[in-house]
Amino acid sequence: MSALLEPESEPERSLIHLAGVTKIYDAGENAVQALAGVNVEISRGEFVAIVGPSGSGKSTLMHILGCLDSPTDGEYWLDGENVADLSARALARIRNQKIGFVFQTFNLLPRATVWKNVELPLLYAGIGTEERRERALEALKHVGLDRRAKHRPNELSGGQRQRVAIARALVNDPSLILADEPTGNLDTKTGSEIIDIFEKLAANNQTIILVTHDPAIAARTQRKITIVDGLIVSPES
Amino acid sequence: MLIFESIIDGLRDIKDHFGRTLLQLLGIILGAGSIVATFSLSVAGKSAAMEYYRVSGGIQKIWVSNHPTGKVTLGARALASEGLTYGDALALRRDAKEIDLVSPVANMDMTIRYRAIEKPRSVLGVVPAYSPMNDFHAGEGRFITDNDLTSAARVVVLGTERAQEFFGSENPIGKILTINGTGYQVVGVMEEKYFSFDQKRNIMRWMNRQMYIPITTFVTRKGESPQHGKISYMHARMRDIKRADQSVDEIKHILKREHGINDFEVFSRVANLRRNEQNNKMYDMTFMICGIISLLVGGIVVMNIQLASFNERVREVGTRKAVGASPAQIFFQFLSESIVVSVFGGFLGLFAGKLFTTAISMLMKRPTFITPSTIVNALIFAAGTGLFFGMYPAIRASRLNPIEALRTE
Repeated sequence: MSALLEPESEPERSLIHLAGVTKIYDAGENAVQALAGVNVEISRGEFVAIVGPSGSGKSTLMHILGCLDSPTDGEYWLDGENVADLSARALARIRNQKIGFVFQTFNLLPRATVWKNVELPLLYAGIGTEERRERALEALKHVGLDRRAKHRPNELSGGQRQRVAIARALVNDPSLILADEPTGNLDTKTGSEIIDIFEKLAANNQTIILVTHDPAIAARTQRKITIVDGLIVSPES
Repeated sequence: MLIFESIIDGLRDIKDHFGRTLLQLLGIILGAGSIVATFSLSVAGKSAAMEYYRVSGGIQKIWVSNHPTGKVTLGARALASEGLTYGDALALRRDAKEIDLVSPVANMDMTIRYRAIEKPRSVLGVVPAYSPMNDFHAGEGRFITDNDLTSAARVVVLGTERAQEFFGSENPIGKILTINGTGYQVVGVMEEKYFSFDQKRNIMRWMNRQMYIPITTFVTRKGESPQHGKISYMHARMRDIKRADQSVDEIKHILKREHGINDFEVFSRVANLRRNEQNNKMYDMTFMICGIISLLVGGIVVMNIQLASFNERVREVGTRKAVGASPAQIFFQFLSESIVVSVFGGFLGLFAGKLFTTAISMLMKRPTFITPSTIVNALIFAAGTGLFFGMYPAIRASRLNPIEALRTE
């Protein structure tokens, strides 16, 4: 009896559970193994850095964590849901509801206002206009840009654009924020301000995974996961 | 909601690249324009033709005219045939079951004199049926009656221009007019007959320039007996236009019996109408095909814009997908943008069509009508073009891999 109940008696399941995850590109003669069996556990509220040299597989890992790609083999549980073999449509839903992305190049829609950009995830979630506007403004207040809501991205500085992107990542109240080299296009001071925002969010129990090759930035997270040649070499730090 | 946003995006796209979009929409504009032109010309042409038919006696009208055979080897009976006579009209009225009106007409130029004015003028010998047959009625006084016919009365009814010519401002009713030396009492003046395709030339004017006397008077004055009085032509009216062919055949049968030979011709407006409809269909088809080709070209251009804008927007699509847009949502977004752009082109096409039809109606001196159904048709065609040609770019966008899309510079 107790053996059957065991999985459910686990006190707090981790937010992310990766077991034996592999990713092979271009299957056949010149197949490339980007991930060679990755095991990762990340709990709710953790602020984690994934570091590694280029070609190490950290981008692949981040794509799989972000549900932009599916693993060739292995298990991926996100927030209690098995997301390893979902359809494109189901993955889109997971990204929409559980993940917020922050990219190196911001990826804001150039022709839409800041407000519209932040609303975007809610638009695809099918939320009504009024609620969308309110929640987007709320998220913009979080990053101190509510007064810039009606501007277009090209009227903002790089740091401000990245803060808009963070607001967009926050707006759907995600389980996980994934930031891919978020300071890569910013000067050191502005980059540091962006990390300040992440630290504040982490202090509020927001789970954040940050992909970076900058040791100074990795040092400001609570935990560092180093990946080399598709394998995690220091699961604990 | 998403559709609404997509429509806004589509309109913004038009606004941001107005010049480019307008140029590339030319195909849709011309296509929708020529569809508008086709429909409005065709509608206008049909209604003008129908109006003409109505004014000149309806599509039930049948013509019977003389048609000498030209043969030299004729039998005795055939040689005796005198062509169409008043007797034939009486025979038709008596025997033809498919016919409800018979209107024989005899025509000749005679010398007309009133006081100091003397002129040769066309005189028509008619029966009372002439009036309902041609939807042409007395404006003052009365038309020829059955009494006039049986008594071969010396009465005359004038067309408006003749009344004006001989009497000026004087009231002609009751006055005596001399025709070929014999006095006739004026008993009526016809209403003015008017019909024009171009609002300029009254193609019914010849009816206002006639003088009408009883056909019996006409033939007996020439020294012929009514039965054998020669006539110029006959009109007949069929009871049922669905039985047009039977009506024509019946007339031919009776006349053949009377004449012994086919020295006459019978044809109906229904047959005419059928032939016209064939012609109209050909014109309509030609215009339609031009319109559809323009729309095809326009559609291909719209597809090109969408593919070009899709290449510009790969990163945007990647971003939208990253934040959770499903393939179906991306598909509908792109598709509705194509449709919005095409319908916009269709709207502009309505104005182009208005220009075309105005130009055509000025050149051909014909009225044209743009009906609501024409507008709806043009817009449906334009939207359909957007739908069809927007499909491929929309499918491509929806299948885009978000990782590769985000990597694109």
